[in-house]
Amino acid sequence: MAIKRSFGENLGQVLMHFFMALLAISALYPVVLVFMVSISSEASVATQGIRLIPTEFSFSAYQLVFATPTMWQAYLVTISVTAIGTTLSLLICSMAGWAASIESVKYRNVMAMFFYIPIVFRPGLLPWFMVITQTLGLRDSFWALIIPTLVTPFNLFLLRNYFRTIPPSLVESAQIDGAPVPRIFLQIVLPLAKPILATCALFISLGYWNGWTEALWFIDNPNLFPLQYMLLRIQQQLELMRQFGIVQGNMPTQTFRLATMFVTIGPIILVYPFVQRFFIKGIMIGAVKG
Amino acid sequence: MLTKTVPKSNRGVRGFLYEMQKNWVYYMMALPALLVVFLVNYLPYPGMIIAFQDFHFIRGMWGSDFVGLDNFRFFFQSVVFFRTTFNTLFINISTIFFVTLTSVIIAIVLNEIRKKMAVRFYQNAIFFPHFLSAVVIGHLLIHVLFPTQSGVVNGIITALGFAPVPWLLTPEPWLAFVVITNVWRGMGFTSIVYLATISGIDEEMFEAADLDGAGRLQRIWFITIPMLIPAICMMVLLSIGTILFGDFGLLRSIIDGPPNNPMLLPRLDIIETFVFRAIRETVDFGTAAAIGLYQSVVGFIMVVAANWVAKRFDSSYGLF
Repeated sequence: MAIKRSFGENLGQVLMHFFMALLAISALYPVVLVFMVSISSEASVATQGIRLIPTEFSFSAYQLVFATPTMWQAYLVTISVTAIGTTLSLLICSMAGWAASIESVKYRNVMAMFFYIPIVFRPGLLPWFMVITQTLGLRDSFWALIIPTLVTPFNLFLLRNYFRTIPPSLVESAQIDGAPVPRIFLQIVLPLAKPILATCALFISLGYWNGWTEALWFIDNPNLFPLQYMLLRIQQQLELMRQFGIVQGNMPTQTFRLATMFVTIGPIILVYPFVQRFFIKGIMIGAVKG
Repeated sequence: MLTKTVPKSNRGVRGFLYEMQKNWVYYMMALPALLVVFLVNYLPYPGMIIAFQDFHFIRGMWGSDFVGLDNFRFFFQSVVFFRTTFNTLFINISTIFFVTLTSVIIAIVLNEIRKKMAVRFYQNAIFFPHFLSAVVIGHLLIHVLFPTQSGVVNGIITALGFAPVPWLLTPEPWLAFVVITNVWRGMGFTSIVYLATISGIDEEMFEAADLDGAGRLQRIWFITIPMLIPAICMMVLLSIGTILFGDFGLLRSIIDGPPNNPMLLPRLDIIETFVFRAIRETVDFGTAAAIGLYQSVVGFIMVVAANWVAKRFDSSYGLF
């Protein structure tokens, strides 16, 4: 590197690194803290408060979390909701997105409008709640966790815009060869759209994994509580137990609290390094398209 | 050959049937999504009339008496109207302002940092909070940062020699805490958008500025920021369209963290959290529907207005 840089410019670089490092720490610190406290012993937390570096390690909080059968059940519910919801949503949205992207489909813009109207004029929470519980009868149903967010217009339009960039001649030549439309979709269109499908799949699955308000609205059966809602319920119960002073003996309340929290974040941390670039790509596509 | 298959009239019922016959496979493929949207988003529209009814469960939507604007009168005169509207608007407006400000600064700084490895690390780090659920964030606030005895914030305060503050019983600063939380989890996402815009700026402009002897700050001030302004306007206008719609998940998880926290509730009650309680707890459907209709109508006006402004600003913008 032969380029000479002035002192001022180097100072600028240092300051910018300092600023960004501060933000990066603020973004990561709380989760690191939660993890460190969750592996501390309850006694050390009780005497010294929440600390980044535990003075005494203990995994008893995690033993307690994994000994709670409702946690396993909630995990199962969330994994099923995420897997089924993401697959269905991706399939349904990409089929509609493709249909709305084809130039020769006359009512493609009518369909786009149909998806768009409810975003602009929302029917409100009460009618929505009544339709899902009464008309569709989804109260206390597994599908109440999936159907309300099954079609997200944002993803649908993201997919449609991507499909538009596929040259129509590819589809036409396959049609001339006599391939039926669904086969063209599965064997030509979807493989070409892999990057955007990956991005959408991640957006959707993050939504399902972190979703909990659907459970709050529609689910009363504890066997159908997803992970995030179970976390909320456990924290509330701990809080009530603390308020009424019925915490039993040496039950690790504070570390248990944070261990349940970390158990719901854990899988996200595991996949984050591998998936974040798809998210960034997706946001950039969305941003450029406007 | 082609002219034979095209019908004389392309309009009306015949045109419709012809189109359905020609492209039925595509419409069948769109059908599941259309059906789901119809069930979840269109079927609720008739239910909006409950806002004008004295709703009874047994008599249902079609049998309840109409009471004109009574529900609205009750709602607009109550303390709830001002409180929920104010909180929703305050949180959203401050969030838009501070998220935009921070994200623009972050994007400019990231663009100026030379070590690209470091840029990638910072970007990934500040994007991370976006992946946390509202429940987790609510509990970070209630049980990690702000508890009176063991909280991180009070730990810092006592270390500095001040008396600890019972934050959960001190409602005043909580609106600000919510805004800071929104900035914390929104800055990564939004700065990616602005960084993408900056990297789309023509390199030649920067090179020309270099030749003219412009310094780094001058380049930022005279090129980067002006080039960012259309994107900023666009993002802000888009968020103004949803300014009356709050983040139910986050606010509910904060309010409900310590169950129905009586101190924080009035301070953090937004339209959605109030409607939720009206539906699931106090079972006051008339009021819930009235607030919902008020929110939908004002929200609709906001979207249309924001879109109108965006289009005047640049005709290629706008959503519809």
